[in-house]
Amino acid sequence: MIDETAVKYVAAVYGLVWVVTLAYIAILNAKLGRLERQLDEIAGLLERGAGDA
Amino acid sequence: MVIGSRRARPDGATVAATATAVLMALALGMIFFYVPTDVDQGYSQRIFYFHVPIALTTYTLFLWSALNAARYLWRRDPSLDLKSYVPMHLGVIFGSLTLATGSLWARISWGTWWFWGDTQLTTFLIIFLFNCAYFMLRFSVEPGERRATYSAVYALLGVGLIPLSVIGVRFAQRNELIHPITFNSNGANMDGSMFLTFLVALAAMLSLAVTMYLVELRGKRIDDRIRAIRRLAEART
Repeated sequence: MIDETAVKYVAAVYGLVWVVTLAYIAILNAKLGRLERQLDEIAGLLERGAGDA
Repeated sequence: MVIGSRRARPDGATVAATATAVLMALALGMIFFYVPTDVDQGYSQRIFYFHVPIALTTYTLFLWSALNAARYLWRRDPSLDLKSYVPMHLGVIFGSLTLATGSLWARISWGTWWFWGDTQLTTFLIIFLFNCAYFMLRFSVEPGERRATYSAVYALLGVGLIPLSVIGVRFAQRNELIHPITFNSNGANMDGSMFLTFLVALAAMLSLAVTMYLVELRGKRIDDRIRAIRRLAEART
């Protein structure tokens, strides 16, 4: 007979680890989005520079 | 010239992520379908197979950070400062998980979320908080050699607390013992299947940490390069 309370705590521990891992991936994804926007800004700067020249 | 005729070799992060996926699936399978239920603690003992590997991974990350900090102080290579910062950041994430999973395990096993009388818990908390303060120091100094030097010295001081913690726990064993001591001078206090499951879970957790380290390090390097290119682009226009 498995103790139901124990199962809940075990599930909480394993679930927490996965939630933190997924949160980390989400934060990395947000950072990648920021880098992408910065690249777009640099491309814009270079295009304007090429247009002026 | 034929472009794309040769398949690109997978990078370190891809290899590490693949290894993590395989090892994590194997570890979860072993934890829930292979390893027997502990006679003393019952089903909740399964928390051990994630909690202890996460704690050991935390120590490994702090050690890795300190090692790169020492290399930075020796060689003054700015890339080593980044290689010291990233594992410190990950160590704090894994340290938070150690405290949270340990607290849940304590609640079901001892009936309390935290026990201040336990030397192992308290010393881990001190090490964790000491390493958290690394970020306050790092981000209070302007980027450059001074910041890297301060950070490296602090990371080395932090890792010095780990052996003190281990010695403290060994001394405390004589007086109070609420936290289970899984490994002692006689080896692992568990049967073969439990130890094998623990080793697979530890390999999975270390592999996850390596994956996160490589991905985060790459992100930081790209960030640095974009800043440098931006400065060049702004100078040109």
